[in-house]
Amino acid sequence: MTSIKRMLVDPAGHDSITSKVYIRSAKSGKVTKIVREIYLRTDIPCSSRLCRACLANAPVDSNNRSRPFVLSEKPAGTTQFKHGHYLMPDTNIFLQCMDAIEHKSAFYDVIVLQTVLDEVKNQSLPLYNRLVSLTKADEKRFYVFHNEFRQETHVKRGQEESINDRNDRAIRVACKWYREHIGQAAASSGVKAPAVVMLSNDKANLAKAKSEGLDATNLDDYVKGLSNADELLDMISSSLQDLEKKANRGANVYAEYFPVPRMNTGVRNGTLHQGTFHTSTYNSLEGTVGVPSFDKHLLIVGLENMNRAIDGDQVVVELLPQDQWKRQSDKLVDQDTLTKNENADVDEVEAIVTEKERRALIDEAKRIQRSQNESQKVQPTAKVVGVLKRNWRSYVGHIDPNSVNRAKSGGQQVVFFRPLDKKIPRIRVFTRQATQLLGQRIVVNIDTWDRTSRFPVGHFVRALGELESKEAETEALLLEYDVQYRPFPKAVLDCLPSEGHDWVVPEKDAPGWENRVDLRDLLICSIDPPGCQDIDDALHARLLPNGNYEAGVHIADVSHFVKPNNAMDDEAASRGTTVYLVDKRIDMLPPLLGTDLCSLKPYVERYAFSVIWEMTPDANIVNTRFTKSVIKSREAFAYKAAQMRIDDKSQTDPLTEGMRILLMLSKKLKQARMDAGALNLASPEVKVHMESETSDPASIEVKELLETNSLVEEFMLCANISVARKIYEAFPQTAMLRRHGAPPATNFDDLRSQLRARKGLDLRVESSKALADSLDACVDPQEAYFNTLVRIIATRCMVPAEYFSSGTQAYPEFRHYGLATDIYTHFTSPIRRYADLAAHRQLAAAIEYEALDESLYNKNKMDAVVKNINVRHRNAQFAGRASIEYYVGQALKNKSTEQEGFVAKIFSNGFVVFVPKFGIEGTIKVETAKTYDADEYILELEDGRKVVLFDKVKVMVNVVKEQATGRRKTELTLA
Amino acid sequence: MEGLRNDGRRWNELRRIHCQLSTSSTNADGSSYIEQGFTKVLCNVTGPAEPSSRQKVKQDSATVSCEVYFAAFSGTDRIKRGRNDKKVQELQTAIQKTFSSIILTHLFSRSEITISVHILSQDGGTLAACINAATLALIDAGIPLKDYVCACTAGQSTSIFDNEGASPDPWLDVNYLEESDIPSLTVATVGDSEKIVALNMENKVRIEKLEAMIAVGISGCAKVRAIMDKEVRRHGKQKLEAQGE
Repeated sequence: MTSIKRMLVDPAGHDSITSKVYIRSAKSGKVTKIVREIYLRTDIPCSSRLCRACLANAPVDSNNRSRPFVLSEKPAGTTQFKHGHYLMPDTNIFLQCMDAIEHKSAFYDVIVLQTVLDEVKNQSLPLYNRLVSLTKADEKRFYVFHNEFRQETHVKRGQEESINDRNDRAIRVACKWYREHIGQAAASSGVKAPAVVMLSNDKANLAKAKSEGLDATNLDDYVKGLSNADELLDMISSSLQDLEKKANRGANVYAEYFPVPRMNTGVRNGTLHQGTFHTSTYNSLEGTVGVPSFDKHLLIVGLENMNRAIDGDQVVVELLPQDQWKRQSDKLVDQDTLTKNENADVDEVEAIVTEKERRALIDEAKRIQRSQNESQKVQPTAKVVGVLKRNWRSYVGHIDPNSVNRAKSGGQQVVFFRPLDKKIPRIRVFTRQATQLLGQRIVVNIDTWDRTSRFPVGHFVRALGELESKEAETEALLLEYDVQYRPFPKAVLDCLPSEGHDWVVPEKDAPGWENRVDLRDLLICSIDPPGCQDIDDALHARLLPNGNYEAGVHIADVSHFVKPNNAMDDEAASRGTTVYLVDKRIDMLPPLLGTDLCSLKPYVERYAFSVIWEMTPDANIVNTRFTKSVIKSREAFAYKAAQMRIDDKSQTDPLTEGMRILLMLSKKLKQARMDAGALNLASPEVKVHMESETSDPASIEVKELLETNSLVEEFMLCANISVARKIYEAFPQTAMLRRHGAPPATNFDDLRSQLRARKGLDLRVESSKALADSLDACVDPQEAYFNTLVRIIATRCMVPAEYFSSGTQAYPEFRHYGLATDIYTHFTSPIRRYADLAAHRQLAAAIEYEALDESLYNKNKMDAVVKNINVRHRNAQFAGRASIEYYVGQALKNKSTEQEGFVAKIFSNGFVVFVPKFGIEGTIKVETAKTYDADEYILELEDGRKVVLFDKVKVMVNVVKEQATGRRKTELTLA
Repeated sequence: MEGLRNDGRRWNELRRIHCQLSTSSTNADGSSYIEQGFTKVLCNVTGPAEPSSRQKVKQDSATVSCEVYFAAFSGTDRIKRGRNDKKVQELQTAIQKTFSSIILTHLFSRSEITISVHILSQDGGTLAACINAATLALIDAGIPLKDYVCACTAGQSTSIFDNEGASPDPWLDVNYLEESDIPSLTVATVGDSEKIVALNMENKVRIEKLEAMIAVGISGCAKVRAIMDKEVRRHGKQKLEAQGE
């Protein structure tokens, strides 16, 4: 009988296998010990172009290809390392200095150890992703060396050795191996070996490395040897620089956060509440948190209760006793007036409530006591006791000139950074280039917000350019809304057809025509805004012999060119949507596709995805057909041209007749939609005309709506609904759909009470139909614009529409509230929206044209895609609006005019005026008001004038440079 | 990343395989023990013997029956699997079907051959290890087989090696972590041929990927066979030498 007990180490003696033992403890308190095998190998290359030995036995993948070597044979040198050097940073370097590492001017030829990469992943996923994308991109030459899998560099944790010590040792061992390995390689090819430099800020680790004879240096010393040291040093996280100071800081300004377990139990048993924190737009001392257990938001009043939460953070809050409940402030408060005279450099603890803040709060309290009887308006208040997830990102803004000490040239100083986003508090930034950065648009990241500091602390990332220069402001805007605007990388462009602009639809029956229907003889045309280059959609209609009509919508066949999972698809998925700014378009797809090969340009043949209906003369759909096709558009109209052609009775050619049929059908479709309760909402849209010579904004006009706009819109809606039904039928779990939830009735509370008080009108909000009807009834015979104003305000009470994958919601939740349809998707603009591209692929699979890629029937992957495009879509809208706002400001520069405006909102110390002509709104602050009637919404000014909600007022529109953002902004004053 | 898997192997590498014959010669006619990575399986074979029940009697051939036992401590969580556990039943059926076609059952009419498999530790590829262990135990018991039956797993990774249009690699011999992450299959072949006797897959995978997975699996089976054959020859030689003394 033989014993079957074996040792882990192979008896043959080569310790090519080792094991990793770790203990995992689950939330339930269960502890499991896990043992995993690690196979150690000798074929992991050093990836230096100097080394021939590694190249000779470089490993291959299943397609028999090996990876090219990354590290340059002649790496750059510094004063310290004359013969060039490879960098080997430790984990903390990546965690604290990623912005500097990404900088173009330095940090080339970097060896990222697997040990370090894993540690970065455990500490911060966003930083890990940035590091991975650095290693994937070729230009910075970052190489991931799998030291844990290489026999010589694998390190076993010793008895009594802490994980951190073990990892530090692993880095030193790898560094030593590299040094010897590169030394041999260099010697065999007869060149001076570049140094392998370990970069660390850990003094103990550095000392050990030096005693082992390695090249090691700390970051400060390393960066000081580079040419643009000041800039790079500013980009290093201030948590590093601040470290010594922190130790001797004084008392705390803010309350300590609860420990995580306490928060978890509190949330679970209902004593604490979890939600997303939002700062009020009008009052920087006030925020709200929406929590599931209350139907009204919880109010957070004062910085102390906000306890370092920043707009968008996931927070845990605790309710305050009822005697501290308040009504929402009806005062305008901005940071400017409160903290004008503070000094960023003051490190001693300031009182949490400054004198001015205190006065503002007291005023507030008095006001509430006066109106104690209106208890229904008092809201529960709460304080933040912990932050679960920070929503920190890069912020764009400028340095507050008042905080800069101009006398102090050189050397580091602390300045205040003012973010463009007013909801974000000012950030203290350590910088060595304060005077150079004045008047520049810059980007800053937040590092920490300690209990001892009144403001968050951050570090400089980069400068975008002069304030108010067009380039800097546009880039600022794109960054602020996280729009990816860099040119498409080469990998993406490689996915384009090799023919480029010469690509044409192949001869009939050539490859590419499989299962495509030839629709070239149909009289198809497209109708778009003037100057449109990316034509997504085209239409046709004709009378059928049986008296019915055939109507067709033809959409650019983008999915033919963009195949799933290649670089172009990944890029499009991460961009999510094309972003339209006033003077610029940030494409989702490379322009070759967007404006040429996919675009349904007139007079040329194009691939299309067609939806063709047979409709009765009453626009009831008898039959729907989906097919991939080849079309030839006869004409590309602008809305206005199409309208004129239809209106011109003398035109009787078949194309015009077809358009007339489309118009006739679209009117019936619209009526049917309105009868079902579709909402007609208004948004203050304006268009900025640019002067073509100087590309300066010249004039502003309110967008005009023609019948042809509605023609196109109706057919697109119809196509989207038909496609939604089809893909939901084919993929009940993962169809890409779009829903619009019904807004909670409480959203309309304010508007309803205002309408009741001011106009004696009521809104009914129980269904979209009721809302649509009561909105129609909101008219003021004296003021035609009143109805539009109410619609604009009502639009703001809605919840935003969102993409979702069908498995995540129950069927009744699919409803699109605004369009009053039970199911909806986006299908008609695949050139500019990724959702439409996904819908195209699903529809193609549903009609068995091609197989569906795994990402579109895998629930988890769909969820990730959907989440991203929802965010991108929203950001694109914000960016577009912000761009218009900026250009309106520029267009009105130096032109002070008197305009008609309407009071849209009223406070005890000011009011919001909306100016329809420019689509802008602005707040007018009143220093001293005589009386304020909160029930009647009337504010009486000192000079006896009364400001009444919804009433017309004359205002002066000026453009001033706003202190807070450094951006030109329209300012309104009462005329 | 870089084409290395989470345990340091490349796409086409097997885990360490260790196997032994005659591990419990006292209470079985043939026995074996196999380790594939941390998957550890012990197998005993008894028979050909009198069938344990009347139903198992076949007039013209032997009955192959299989019993699978999971040790409660074999997985990360302590789970007791009874006789009627679905997983146990599945494994039993798979092993029984595989070997019914390989054992020369017509030589032993009206008798029963019992394969009992004890799973001591699970780290992915349990079925494959069971089949391999059974082959060795049957050889040890001296029961005539058509040829070796060797099994191996293969998975389809989703990570992309690089983005030049190459499809992700198929992975040979998946461990537990990989098995729970990616679609994988178990394939068993007969001897040196590429004839498949068992193919088992519990996940969904795109049909285009299947061929590559099976091909990699088959190549893995050949490597497993070589290792097992070496051990059988070593064991046989040792036995003969012992007898010669």
